[in-house]
Amino acid sequence: MRNPLGWAALTLFSLLFFAFIYAPLFVIVGYSFNANPVNMMIWEGFTLDWYTGLFGLTERSMDANSRAAYIESTDQMLAALRNSLFVAVFTTTIATVMGTATAIALARFRFRGRRLYDGFLMLPMMMPDIVLGIGLLIFFVTLGMQLSLLTIIIGHCTFLTSYVFIIVQARMAGLDPALEEASADLGASEWVTLRKVLLPQLAPGIMGGALLAFVISMDDLVITYFVSGTGDTTLPVFIFGMIRRGVKPEINAIATLLILASVAIAALGLWLRSRKTD
Amino acid sequence: MTALLEIRGARREFVTPEGGRLAALDGVDLDVGANEFVTLLGPSGCGKTTLLRAVSGFETLDGGTIRLDGADIAALPPFRRPVNTVFQSYALFGHMTVARNVGYALEVQGVPRATYEAEVAAALEKVGLSGLGGRKPSQLSGGQRQRVALARAIIAKPRLLLLDEPLSALDRNLRQQMQIELKALQHRLGIAFVFVTHDQEEALTMSDRIVVMRAGRIEQIGTPRDIYRQPKNRFVAEFIGETNLFPVLVERIEGATALARTDAGVVLAIPAEGRRAGERVTAILRPTDLALAGEGIRGTVTRAVYLGADLHLFVQPAAGGPEISVTTRDVASLPATGETVHLAHDPARVHLLAEA
Ligand SMILES: Nc1ncnc2c1ncn2[C@@H]1O[C@H](COP(=O)(O)OP(=O)(O)OP(=O)(O)O)[C@@H](O)[C@H]1O
Ligand SMILES: [Mg+2]
Repeated sequence: MRNPLGWAALTLFSLLFFAFIYAPLFVIVGYSFNANPVNMMIWEGFTLDWYTGLFGLTERSMDANSRAAYIESTDQMLAALRNSLFVAVFTTTIATVMGTATAIALARFRFRGRRLYDGFLMLPMMMPDIVLGIGLLIFFVTLGMQLSLLTIIIGHCTFLTSYVFIIVQARMAGLDPALEEASADLGASEWVTLRKVLLPQLAPGIMGGALLAFVISMDDLVITYFVSGTGDTTLPVFIFGMIRRGVKPEINAIATLLILASVAIAALGLWLRSRKTD
Repeated sequence: MTALLEIRGARREFVTPEGGRLAALDGVDLDVGANEFVTLLGPSGCGKTTLLRAVSGFETLDGGTIRLDGADIAALPPFRRPVNTVFQSYALFGHMTVARNVGYALEVQGVPRATYEAEVAAALEKVGLSGLGGRKPSQLSGGQRQRVALARAIIAKPRLLLLDEPLSALDRNLRQQMQIELKALQHRLGIAFVFVTHDQEEALTMSDRIVVMRAGRIEQIGTPRDIYRQPKNRFVAEFIGETNLFPVLVERIEGATALARTDAGVVLAIPAEGRRAGERVTAILRPTDLALAGEGIRGTVTRAVYLGADLHLFVQPAAGGPEISVTTRDVASLPATGETVHLAHDPARVHLLAEA
């Protein structure tokens, strides 16, 4: 079974595979330490300036030429990051509550059109982002709503609720209905059962759904692009706009920090999932 | 005496996926006394769980009434009924410790901390789990989980405890041990148990009374002895314990006994009381009621099985008809397969069914 040649080929393949996936990330991390302010592809020495600059610790002196290359200030970039976090936190909260409530309702109550409802909840996940984006934009304009962070939050909630729903529903399906019956049998009202038995049992699913919603919300470009106004925008949209004019080196630093944050969140998610509550 | 639990004309129909209707409960009447151990026994799908769930409130009846202490409880939701359940799957809360599982009913009632602690400790003690309160259910063995489920269900001092096949997941030894412990616990607590099983041996050893069910109806209610010795019909006779059934024609009466003959020609002595010649009845003889002797029903041993102290024989009657099963203590005489033997019985031990 242990054909050495096959084994070597398999090892090589997996190495290449991971290189393929992670190389772009490493490039960014590398660039974020490059002192060259104008052309990041030319290594000019190691610096932490882009990081310290992000937090307003140093103001790197640039010659007039390179300064002119950038329209956006670091402050604007940080504002975009703040907006992203703001949107993600609100979206995650709303989508998690709605997705969880829907998953519980669909699993525990029988009503007409249940199957249809189920199908409709899947749809926003499968819909191309661009369609959802245009749809939302037209919707907001029709209602006469000013595009703002609020419209971004509403837009994100429309599809992230579905993500949370799917994950919590899977957890719900694996739950022994006798647990809730045991709780009721021991004198707990439905509300107490929800609080003391159902939600703790669903917790890993709910946390997983919330983390996913948070990460997708932080990351979304297409839908946000349509529903964000001229003023406030999120980091992905901001970066996207910036690339067309030339990339400010701080971007690499921000990207590196975001990678770190994502890894931390993913690790947290895995840890929560591995904690068994059976 | 008024019963603790009074079920009258309980009916429950389900719509089957094929579109038909199935009466899971088809007019059930049952009384359970305040300190009684009643077992529901019957084949799979006969409605035992449905009946239990109707009492605990998880199933609503289509007809009939359920009274507890004389009060109709139909309108009460499960969490307001003074009845607790031990679930077949145990249904322990995996995110709570054993102690919190056990104390759940008190926690929900908002019992003061000191009382709570004392009661939980007492309940754990009662089921022999002192010291394991800090564990999670997943860190317990099957038998220990079973005890947690039991402790959790009795802590609120219900008037009536419902147990749906609580022992079916345990191995034989543990099962027998738990049977004894359960019975002792019921005695100590002085509350009524309604216990579901489809193991007839379990029913015989534990119950004050057995309720034999079939297809949503009660076939017979009685003490284990009644059910075993005087089954009302063939179904009960065949369901409880091993049975030899002889459909016979009564030939002649000779004082206190009558002689009867199967169609194949096996002759049996049966009690004469109430019999008349020419009548068709079914005679029931338990394997333990037959013994090896010098004369009696002649037959050939087809199989001999040791059951520890007992020897179980299958004998093909020379006259023909189905094999007869015999349990004997008399291992000394050890008949071999193929040997001819004679089976004798005491006519008084024969139970008769009117149906032929
Ligand atoms: N929710 C339901 N929907 C449809 N039919 C049901 C439902 N619950 C039970 N039944 C049917 O009602 C009948 C009685 O079921 P029940 O669970 O009471 O049987 P049981 O005696 O407990 O059997 P077992 O020994 O296998 O547990 C069965 O035929 C079952 O298929
Ligand atoms: Mg059952």
